Amino acid sequence: MLGKQEPIASGRVVAISPDDGSTIDLKSPALAAFLSWLVPGLGQIVQGRRFKGLLFMAALVPTFLAGMWLGDGRVVYASWKPGDKRWAFICQAGIGAAAIPAMIQSWRLEGPAKQPAFLNTFMAPPLSRGQPVSQAYAAALVKTDPDIDADDFRPLPPWQQFRPSPPPGMLDRRPADQVSIWHKRLGRFFEIGTLYTMLAGMLNVLVVYDAWSGPMHPTPRDEKDKQP
Amino acid sequence: MMPLAPLVATVFDSIPGVVYGLPLVLAAAVVFAATHHEDSAAIRRATLEWVGWLGGILGGVLVAVWLVSWLA
Repeated sequence: MLGKQEPIASGRVVAISPDDGSTIDLKSPALAAFLSWLVPGLGQIVQGRRFKGLLFMAALVPTFLAGMWLGDGRVVYASWKPGDKRWAFICQAGIGAAAIPAMIQSWRLEGPAKQPAFLNTFMAPPLSRGQPVSQAYAAALVKTDPDIDADDFRPLPPWQQFRPSPPPGMLDRRPADQVSIWHKRLGRFFEIGTLYTMLAGMLNVLVVYDAWSGPMHPTPRDEKDKQP
Repeated sequence: MMPLAPLVATVFDSIPGVVYGLPLVLAAAVVFAATHHEDSAAIRRATLEWVGWLGGILGGVLVAVWLVSWLA
């Protein structure tokens, strides 16, 4: 199934409606596609296809937000550390603007500052065992996260080290990393929230395609099947 | 015979996919329908068709999983 897109004499790009064969002015398809990636349906609204734009927005924005709520705001994060590669984020990133803070948070936490851009931990990637973070971020985590206290950090000037490995012979029964804490606290809701946000991102790829190329048409074989 | 409400509650409790899957089915059906049509009436009609397809597939899988876990 492909969108039928045609340039017309005036230089504008139009698509053909699969319902009545009328033309749809796609205006600036690249800009519309970018806007629809940024906010689901925004590209269609800019193209003058308000009903579809609002429909996409009403379907995908609440789905993404519901996933965030079910996952207690922890399920959307970007992490490429060994042992915690967040492949789900590739799908979540399809939602655009709503996933951009996760990229900023990850970039800042893994960078020389060793703290996310927003210290309230919003969309910040989880800490792994022994990961050094800034003093300010350690203090913010102790203050805001009920599962983390001051004992979870060891001074490693100028940083604070999160749950360093215990000395040989000692057993540490606490979860080794922050993502394990989240799984323990949220249970199945971590996975359900991840699924909601992933699906919202993947469906938005179709919305971006619709803004770029117009509605998809049945393949010739499908049309042939419909003939009596 | 088991009353309907406790039966439904049991199913929902043992298969959370039923509760949490329905909004996803609806969102996917809306997006699939709207990316294949332009007319609002056609989108509404296609949404119902997609809900039937996706709900049927998800429901079939969930019933199969439930039956397997019940028999195990």
